Amino acid sequence: MSTDDDDATMDAADLSMMQLSDSFFPTGMYSMSNGLEAIFYSGRKIKAEELRELVKTYLEYQIGPADCTALGIAYEHAARSNLLKLLEVDRAIFSMKLVQEIRDASIRSGTQLVRCIRSFSDNKILGQYDDAIRGGQAFGPYPVALAVAANAFLIPKEKAALVMLYSFSVSIVGAALRLGMLQHFDGQKVIDELKPTIVKVTKANINRPIEGMWQFAPSIDIIQISHERMNSKMFIT
Amino acid sequence: MTAKRIPRLGIGGPVGSGKTMLIEKIVPVLAAKGYNAGIVSNDVVSREDADRMRHNLATEQGILSEDLVIGLATGGCPHTAVREDPSMNISIIEEMESKYNYLDLIIIESGGDNITTTFSPALADYFIYIIDVSGGDKYPRKRGLGIETCDLLVINKIDLAPHVGADLTIMERDAKAVRGDKPYVFVNSMTGQGIAQVTEHIIRDILFESPPKTVAKN
Ligand SMILES: Nc1nc2c(ncn2[C@@H]2O[C@H](COP(=O)(O)OP(=O)(O)OP(=O)(O)O)[C@@H](O)[C@H]2O)c(=O)[nH]1
Ligand SMILES: [Mg+2]
Repeated sequence: MSTDDDDATMDAADLSMMQLSDSFFPTGMYSMSNGLEAIFYSGRKIKAEELRELVKTYLEYQIGPADCTALGIAYEHAARSNLLKLLEVDRAIFSMKLVQEIRDASIRSGTQLVRCIRSFSDNKILGQYDDAIRGGQAFGPYPVALAVAANAFLIPKEKAALVMLYSFSVSIVGAALRLGMLQHFDGQKVIDELKPTIVKVTKANINRPIEGMWQFAPSIDIIQISHERMNSKMFIT
Repeated sequence: MTAKRIPRLGIGGPVGSGKTMLIEKIVPVLAAKGYNAGIVSNDVVSREDADRMRHNLATEQGILSEDLVIGLATGGCPHTAVREDPSMNISIIEEMESKYNYLDLIIIESGGDNITTTFSPALADYFIYIIDVSGGDKYPRKRGLGIETCDLLVINKIDLAPHVGADLTIMERDAKAVRGDKPYVFVNSMTGQGIAQVTEHIIRDILFESPPKTVAKN
């Protein structure tokens, strides 16, 4: 039987979910195009449908099987206050980020996310994870940081994954808008059309073990590497 | 272990007003007095400013090491990067603080932007806003958060005033009217005029006259 108290807790968790997925939340994601800027400057014109397919590829072959799985594992360890196991997945996902620019951006976002929430939450494992980052025992990649934050906010694991995949999609679509590759209604249409993929990718990856983490999107790796080498750029990644 | 916060100076101002050149002028003056600075340059579309400062201050003059000039892209949102979401800047600065704890000062150049730019107090302890005279003497009268709230207003390129019909006495009068007691300095970055005054403000108001760390250690 659900009580008013339970409802209030769930509503607060829903609000926390909105807070974390709001582009206003300070993780610097507005400054990341995840390689899209390199495509833009290569002179290729891409249509809204192509952008949608590109984001799908990111989700299905990179963010899903690697980051989303890492988030699921990290969430379980955070819920059990197992710092050692948390550090294991921290290292695993860090080492899977092949492109330095992307790796740095992920740990900078993750670190700042944890630090921000620590400034107003006294959640124990979040504090321990922050201390581990500061002490050099952890890197603080975004998926692990988000899992720890979601646990502190009582956001269910699957919802935390939705937050991550949604924020990622929004950051690419946002970059496309600012680069003038899309107009604003098209951007919202692309996000809407990505919803089934986000849900599917979450279901497929949220409960897999650490040995099952993988990614395979070589063409995206190459795009991201070529972004890293660009001289003149508006985006960090 | 978290490194101690190193005093941070934010420099903001419209596109091309002279932010980078001001840094190129003040860093050697600070260095001559023994103060070591690190620089984070938020560039809107390129790494040009960071590359220029690295080449000039590190490679040519040897005042600081090359990794102490870092360029940062801002996704086309230079004001966001120093105000409402400074997380990338803070992250980079914290890395600098733990790697180079001997620094006396970290300077953050914002990307060139409109006149509402301000720095988040979480990012910068002191905020210099720099305008130039070439937009005419209507600034600072037109106000804007940057001009009104900065700790020090620098009015740059005064050598150009006669050429654009800008009256410096009007700018001075309006700066006083808009800013009350808060300081302003007229600067010509080309000749170095006014640079000593800017540096004095930095040493007094950000560093609180503390001696350079590397000297204090000896
Ligand atoms: N005449 C004159 N030119 C100046 C002065 N200060 C800077 N400049 C010139 O103004 C131009 C822009 O200076 P920067 O220092 O690059 O300006 P900025 O504010 O860093 O520019 P962005 O970062 O691109 O917004 C350069 O060509 C400088 O040589 C000055 O006092 N007088
Ligand atoms: Mg500049």
